[in-house]
Amino acid sequence: MEVLKEKVEEEEEAEREEAAVRAERGEKVVRPMEVQREEAPMTQEMLRDLEKKLSDIEMAIPEKLSTFTKDTIDTSKLPLSYQSNTLKEEHLLQVADSFSRQYSHLCPDRVPLFLHPLNECEVPKFVSTTIRPTLMPYPELYNWDSCAQFVSDFLSMVPLPDPLKPVVQEEEKVPPKKYAIKPPRDLTSRFQQEQETKKLEEIKAEEERQLREEEERLLDVEKAKTDPLHGLRVHSWVLVLSGKREVPESFFIDPFTARSYSTQDDHFLGIESLWNHKNYWVNMQDCWNCCKDLVFDLGDPVRWEYLLLGTEKSHLSLTEEEEDGLNDDDDVENLGKEDEDKSFDMPPSWVEQIEISPEAFETRCPNGKKVIQYKRAKLEKWAPYLNSNGLVCRLTTYEDLECTKTLEIKEWFQNREDMLELKHIDKSTGLNVDYFKPGHPQALRVHSYKSMQPETDRIMEFYDRARVDSLVKREETSKTMTEYYRGRSDFLSYRHVSFGDRVKKLSLNSAESNPRPIVKITERFARNPEQPADEDVAERVFLISEERVQLRYHCRDDHITASKREFLRRSEVDHKGNKIVMTPDMCISFEVEPMEHTKKLLYQYEAMMKLKNEEKLSRHQAWESELEVLEILKLREEEEEEHRLTISIYDTKRNEKSKEYREAMERVMHEEHLRQVEAQLDYLAPFLAQLPPSEKMTRWQAMRVKDECLSDFKQRLIDKANLIQARFEKETQELQKKQQWYQENQVTLTVEDEDLYLSYCSQAMFRIRILEQRLNRHKELAPLKYLALEEKLYKDPRLVEFMKVFV
Amino acid sequence: MNWLYDSVEPRVMDEDMLKLAVGEQGPRDEAGQLARQEGILFKDVLSLRLDFQNILRIDNLWQFENLRKLQLDNNIIEKIEGLERLVHLVWLDLSFNNIEAIEGLDTLVNLEDLSLFNNRISKIDSLDALIKLQVLSLGNNEISHMMNIIYLRRFKDLRTLSLSGNPIAEEEDYKMFICAYLPDLVYLDFRRIDDHMKELAEIKHQYGIDELKQRENLIQAQLDDERAQREELEEHKAAFVEHLNGSFLFDSMYAEDVEGNKLAHLPGVSELLQAYKDKFVIICLNIFEYGLKQQEKRKVELDTFNECVQEAIQENREQGKRRIAKFEETHLLSLNAIRDESEVTNLEMKIAEHSKDITELFNMLMTLEMQLVEQLEETINMFERNIVDLVALFIENVQSLMAQCRDLENHHHEKLLEISINTLEKILKGELDEDLPYDVRALFVDKDTIVNAVGTSHDLHLLKIDNREDELVTRTNSWCSHLVDAIHKDEIMRNRRRVKEIHQYVDHVQNELDNLECSEIID
Repeated sequence: MEVLKEKVEEEEEAEREEAAVRAERGEKVVRPMEVQREEAPMTQEMLRDLEKKLSDIEMAIPEKLSTFTKDTIDTSKLPLSYQSNTLKEEHLLQVADSFSRQYSHLCPDRVPLFLHPLNECEVPKFVSTTIRPTLMPYPELYNWDSCAQFVSDFLSMVPLPDPLKPVVQEEEKVPPKKYAIKPPRDLTSRFQQEQETKKLEEIKAEEERQLREEEERLLDVEKAKTDPLHGLRVHSWVLVLSGKREVPESFFIDPFTARSYSTQDDHFLGIESLWNHKNYWVNMQDCWNCCKDLVFDLGDPVRWEYLLLGTEKSHLSLTEEEEDGLNDDDDVENLGKEDEDKSFDMPPSWVEQIEISPEAFETRCPNGKKVIQYKRAKLEKWAPYLNSNGLVCRLTTYEDLECTKTLEIKEWFQNREDMLELKHIDKSTGLNVDYFKPGHPQALRVHSYKSMQPETDRIMEFYDRARVDSLVKREETSKTMTEYYRGRSDFLSYRHVSFGDRVKKLSLNSAESNPRPIVKITERFARNPEQPADEDVAERVFLISEERVQLRYHCRDDHITASKREFLRRSEVDHKGNKIVMTPDMCISFEVEPMEHTKKLLYQYEAMMKLKNEEKLSRHQAWESELEVLEILKLREEEEEEHRLTISIYDTKRNEKSKEYREAMERVMHEEHLRQVEAQLDYLAPFLAQLPPSEKMTRWQAMRVKDECLSDFKQRLIDKANLIQARFEKETQELQKKQQWYQENQVTLTVEDEDLYLSYCSQAMFRIRILEQRLNRHKELAPLKYLALEEKLYKDPRLVEFMKVFV
Repeated sequence: MNWLYDSVEPRVMDEDMLKLAVGEQGPRDEAGQLARQEGILFKDVLSLRLDFQNILRIDNLWQFENLRKLQLDNNIIEKIEGLERLVHLVWLDLSFNNIEAIEGLDTLVNLEDLSLFNNRISKIDSLDALIKLQVLSLGNNEISHMMNIIYLRRFKDLRTLSLSGNPIAEEEDYKMFICAYLPDLVYLDFRRIDDHMKELAEIKHQYGIDELKQRENLIQAQLDDERAQREELEEHKAAFVEHLNGSFLFDSMYAEDVEGNKLAHLPGVSELLQAYKDKFVIICLNIFEYGLKQQEKRKVELDTFNECVQEAIQENREQGKRRIAKFEETHLLSLNAIRDESEVTNLEMKIAEHSKDITELFNMLMTLEMQLVEQLEETINMFERNIVDLVALFIENVQSLMAQCRDLENHHHEKLLEISINTLEKILKGELDEDLPYDVRALFVDKDTIVNAVGTSHDLHLLKIDNREDELVTRTNSWCSHLVDAIHKDEIMRNRRRVKEIHQYVDHVQNELDNLECSEIID
């Protein structure tokens, strides 16, 4: 029950919003006129400025006012209700006029009321009748927020909140424990500390002051153009009243931005009047403190002067306030009968129901494209699949108010095959950052770079779980490459490679086969719990040019120092000319707990040999990483060029493959249908038609019908056989004739004639053969066909009762 | 085949033989050169091959502590022995010998691969310790009884088995039987067992296997029960209140009490005894529950303490590590700088500066350590106070409960005495209706005898109670003092270790600097 109720509420919200759309629509057309009536000398420029101010957040109306302006609508095609007023409406207009006269008499210093603007067809319409609650089939429109978002897209634009905003986690504070040690005694001089803090504070205060000054200066610059029309501007917005449908408190929705505002918000300076599809109220409360003190109890005639009496069951004392500004709070069930049970009722709305096609709903913005200019920023929106590269949104921020110097560009993509999601271009630093969704062939997550050239500054982050080597991040500069790993079975967590300058090669080999020499490789490992800390390497540094390897081991659980070992790989020859394999000074080690077996030269030698192999491997890894970078860069360039888009298999409209499949299926169905029709051919129809109508068939007649049908069929089979036979004979005769002719004239024939003759022969032979085959086939099948028909006739429902007797 | 070995003189496994083998099988080439230079210690050897040596008796292997793989095949060994110390052994090959019984493998818990191919073994047993066994080769032996297979069921990791060439392999049901009873086996007699075979075997021997499994499960359940009981008892012992959750103490009081048992036959005494027992058991249960509760409390106290101390040590350690890491950065840089410095005055200055750094590091680390020592000392003292208080409280309460037991006993004693004297009077008067057993009647000779008998019983009971109480008190106290001692000792050890570590590290760093200086001066 609860769920149902909630849904009803949402639906109703949706209606309200739709009504709002309609209201805006109706109103928008007339507003310029209306405003002009009030404040005569207003240029288009000022209007725009006004709009900007009204929409509360710095936002400008796009160049074209909206696609719903007069010129796009053919008024002659609109229904009659648009072009004329009914009697009731006329009456209402008179009521409104008299109301307006009284009002202006009573409150001469207030602005004339916004009661009956002209619609598209230049016909005055009372504002309430421009609202028509409508239920839409889209679940997104059932909640006020997503609905308002849609409406705002239809009308204007709002930037989405940054989807990449990090989530801040608060660290849990552990309560102090019983045996927690006391903090060490603080022996520092308190006086000194105080002096220090004082000094710091002074510095900080100074800094803050400077900062504030700077800010103020900036603000002054921006505020230079103070609004001369502050408080005079007019704007329409949506008020959702509290009470019903679990709306805890009243709030405003700005239709342009889809944002909700509390009724206490400073941006709303006052309310002239409210209306929904049933009534119209004039605010009689003082708005000296903006909207903060307003009481939204519409049943209170002192605060809210109503236009129509008793059309609403609003009560003064009820805590549930039921009225809205532009909204209605109707239940779904009395949608239709709302007009019957009221004393003087609002005439039914003259507007047509809003219809939004799924395409239009997906497209959202008019023509699928929209540009919103903000202060120092421009937001462009496109419908999905509109751009061939999948671009759906672009936010450009500028340094200056005139929007000439670009600061950064953010581009959002959708449905990209390479999973590109967001491209962030920082113009001031030249840094590009590409963000990818999971599923890139190289498991790329983030790629930030300044240029696509290899061996330059770049950072690539990866979805490490999708990679075999568990690489998390690879940072590159022109001289180094740093890789971070997570969760590897060999516990490698970090590898840093320093490159030296490329040695110039004299050979003809290209640059690719001339990798930069590696100077140093640093690798760090996480702790391997299966090994003792003294044997578990934490960091190893291969100083390749110096032929030196440094090892640092992990620290034991209860120690603060870690073992170290350094190998010098020098192949020297002693004074006798023998090669020195290993000497004690080739391995310098510091051991936290000296061990016996590590002192041995053999152990050290083996360790060194192992390291030698590992160095080779690490170098190879570094080389492979470089190759991979090249590969990724190449792939990225290809992807950028191709920018293929993926299409969901559920997208029946765009998915070519499924379309083809569907069409094929349809074709098959169609053919199947044809065949069925054929199968249902009624053999008996012509024979039954011969019988006298509307008489019950006798058995004799039935037998006759059957026999006739069969004999007819037999005759047809024989005819067919004869036909084929005749053709066959004709064809053979002709061939014989031709052969005869050929034999007679063989000597005199030219080569062409002979060729002609030969081709004729072969064709004739082919035809004869085919005819022969057909004849044979017919002979074979004819009895079967006959039997099949007989069988069928026996089973025919019209004859079956007569046949049973004989069977 | 054995005549061949018989004709040759059996050899003894002596030092020379082992040395030779180690030398031959040790590292090669350059490493070998080094090995020869330094000599190889037996305990560093991981793998040893001693085949075709005509060894009769395994000996002298105790030094090879870390041996992983040992090959003793193709000898004339008759008895498995001398392998007790080779606990790390993973691979043991004793094939082609003259072994008759499996024995002497009880310490080789890490053994995974055992080969006893071509011996004279007739029975599979004494392998219980080899829980990791994966490969067992027993081909060409004299195993003749199928029931030996069932013994192998206990090796959960056994995957490869060879038994060909044994009398049992001749039996018609041999393969089926093994497949059925060792379902985890993958290779039998060097061939993979196919799934079809497994299924067939399972169906064929289902009856027998089910029965066997049933029995095994029963035994397992019994073992589990026993273990659970043992664990429970251990827990109670830790709380010092074992055997107090029932009538054990009461029963023990009467177990050796001849007179008491005799007196139980008196009229009215059995009811009295029953009431006494009920009350006594209730008090025992009280003690028991209280003991468990207190144990829990002590545990929580100890855990909190340990956790806090560990945290403090961890934090201190992190600080120390940070200091050292910071120092190491500068250390390397300044060493390089000193190495590169050519001017003598600058050099000296730098060296002095660096040694100052080192001293500073040392002081810093030592300060940290001293700080920790002070902090921990305080905490430990606090804990000591608390735990001693807890224990004292426990003992006090238990003693008061025990006093209740004694009161009960006294009360019972009085009652019993009264009944006894009454009975005596009756007997003397000849008014006694019931028949008393002869030995009971013997007590009622005169007043002294009966009073003595009752008194003896009473004394015995009190003694039991006292003993139990003493045991509890002494054990509790000794636990407490041991705990505190251990904590103090641990802390001292920790401190010693850390100080040693710091000294060692600083010495090392200083040495590095000194070495540089030396080489500089020489240069």
